[in-house]
Amino acid sequence: VSFRTIRDLLRHLWREQKWFFIPFILILLVIGVVLAATSGAAYVAPFVYSIF
Amino acid sequence: VSAVLGVSCDYHDAAAALVIDGRIVAAVQEERFSRIRFDSSLPTHAMQWCLRFGGITAADLDRVVFYENPYAHQTRVMSWSLKTWPRGLRMFPRAMRSQLSSKLWVLDRIASSLGIDRTRVTHVAHHRSHAASAFYCSPFSKAGVLTLDGVGDSETTSLSIGHGDSLKQAWSQDFPHSIGLLYAAITAWLGFRVNDGEYKVMGLAAFGEPKFRSELGKVLRIEGDASFSIDVSYLGHLVDPDLGFGPKLEKLLGRRRSPSKPWDLADAEDKRYADIASSLQSLTEEVVVGLARRARAMAGVSELCMAGGVALNCVANALVAAEGPLYVHPAAGDAGGALGAAIIGAMELGDPRPEYLSSVALGPVPDTSRAADVARHLGFSTAYVDPVQEASDRIGRGEVIGWVQGRTEWGPRSLGHRSILADPSLPDTRDRVNRTVKQRELFRPFAPVVSAQSFGSYFEGEPDLLTPFMCTVRNVKPSVALAAVTHVDGTARVQSVDSGPLVPLLERLPVLLNTSLNAAGDPIATSEIDALSFLHARPIDALIIDDLLVTRP
Repeated sequence: VSFRTIRDLLRHLWREQKWFFIPFILILLVIGVVLAATSGAAYVAPFVYSIF
Repeated sequence: VSAVLGVSCDYHDAAAALVIDGRIVAAVQEERFSRIRFDSSLPTHAMQWCLRFGGITAADLDRVVFYENPYAHQTRVMSWSLKTWPRGLRMFPRAMRSQLSSKLWVLDRIASSLGIDRTRVTHVAHHRSHAASAFYCSPFSKAGVLTLDGVGDSETTSLSIGHGDSLKQAWSQDFPHSIGLLYAAITAWLGFRVNDGEYKVMGLAAFGEPKFRSELGKVLRIEGDASFSIDVSYLGHLVDPDLGFGPKLEKLLGRRRSPSKPWDLADAEDKRYADIASSLQSLTEEVVVGLARRARAMAGVSELCMAGGVALNCVANALVAAEGPLYVHPAAGDAGGALGAAIIGAMELGDPRPEYLSSVALGPVPDTSRAADVARHLGFSTAYVDPVQEASDRIGRGEVIGWVQGRTEWGPRSLGHRSILADPSLPDTRDRVNRTVKQRELFRPFAPVVSAQSFGSYFEGEPDLLTPFMCTVRNVKPSVALAAVTHVDGTARVQSVDSGPLVPLLERLPVLLNTSLNAAGDPIATSEIDALSFLHARPIDALIIDDLLVTRP
């Protein structure tokens, strides 16, 4: 995870007046970090499907 | 003065291009190294080769420019996930996983791969990269610029005005209204592989008649100003990444064609499929010609530049070129975006606009001595020869030869550096090369290559900015017999040559069949090893690598 990329993405969303995506993307990023931290590649599909 | 590397990847054909002091030094697709056709992965081999060829290291790069805005792409994916809810359920997890695990971080991945600071990696908008590849590589000082593809960032089509060093977008069409995605959807419905089969649809169209324009007109609505809209309910790419078209399209056009069924264009069912291909091609031409007129009008000049995957549709290009000067970037697809991005980066750093790109010989050269060693090890016979004399003698005897000379071509076409050459006047050459050498559909035509001086003897019109790069079609003169390269509609995707390794050969044999040195599904041969592998696997009669002749014992 690159903080520069996260910062640039958030700036892009703000500039494009799509700020309402910011909480959405932050939640997704947290999920991504959790999956990465738990080596959860094998769980990606059922985990994400169970939420969405 | 600067050194700028342009990069494209993650979607279609990954590539790298190096511009030093405003001069295009090197450009090559990743597939040429990885041997995976249309390889979209991070182009580590291509980037490193460009740096080696340019005699620099990554530390010497002033900037690396990615050809697309990853944040705009991420935003589009999220927006459409919500807009298509809940139908997009199947797409959403895959899209998010792909984005968040890899694509969003592409600038970091590039920096990490090159071992440079992340601050030196920037990006430009997708269609601006395409527009830059078209305008800045053209010979025009002022031109309208039209870009069309499937989708890049959030746009599918753009019109810009190029003037000197300036390139300003004047209009764009947003996803999902995309002529490229419609063409891809029908390509899939016809049983061809998307991103590869569009050429086949274009060739198939000549066997049909546009009887289904009104049906396809329900999917594609063309407005008076040449803008267009797509009824996405017929397509599946918003909700199904695998299929690309929806059940509504099958209700409209009938059942999809089985990919495994051989084509028989004498059969009524396959003729109907050809009619639908012809209808799609007809509508595509109407859109492209209409947008081209609009771009020329916006710019106030007749000169026009085009890029984006749809600009590889050489039948549509021929219609656009009939209305005024046209330049199409030879690598019009996503690979070309890498070069456009590099040029933008270099010009932002103060370098001049590059000179007209008159040659696409921008890739690696073969190692002839290594080729000789490996060929002998494989049991082939080798000899050093006069390549022009040897090739002309063999082609004159009706042989089909592999021809590897100098630097690999940039873009999807073999233009005389990595080619299969044969006599185009022999009627059975087309079937032989299609059936046994290339192993592809028999209806697909081959392209001729002709010297610029002899062009008028065989084809209608004169060479232009498209003919050197095989980006257009011309009528074959009825008085000449070029059976192997004349399509069913009497046209040919002709290449004219006035420089490069084919010139001396074309002084002896003024017109040749020229097709890429690869089998169906493989990338074009790049190295001497790729070429020898092709000779080993396919029944060509001989292979000439620079001045090395390789034959079976």
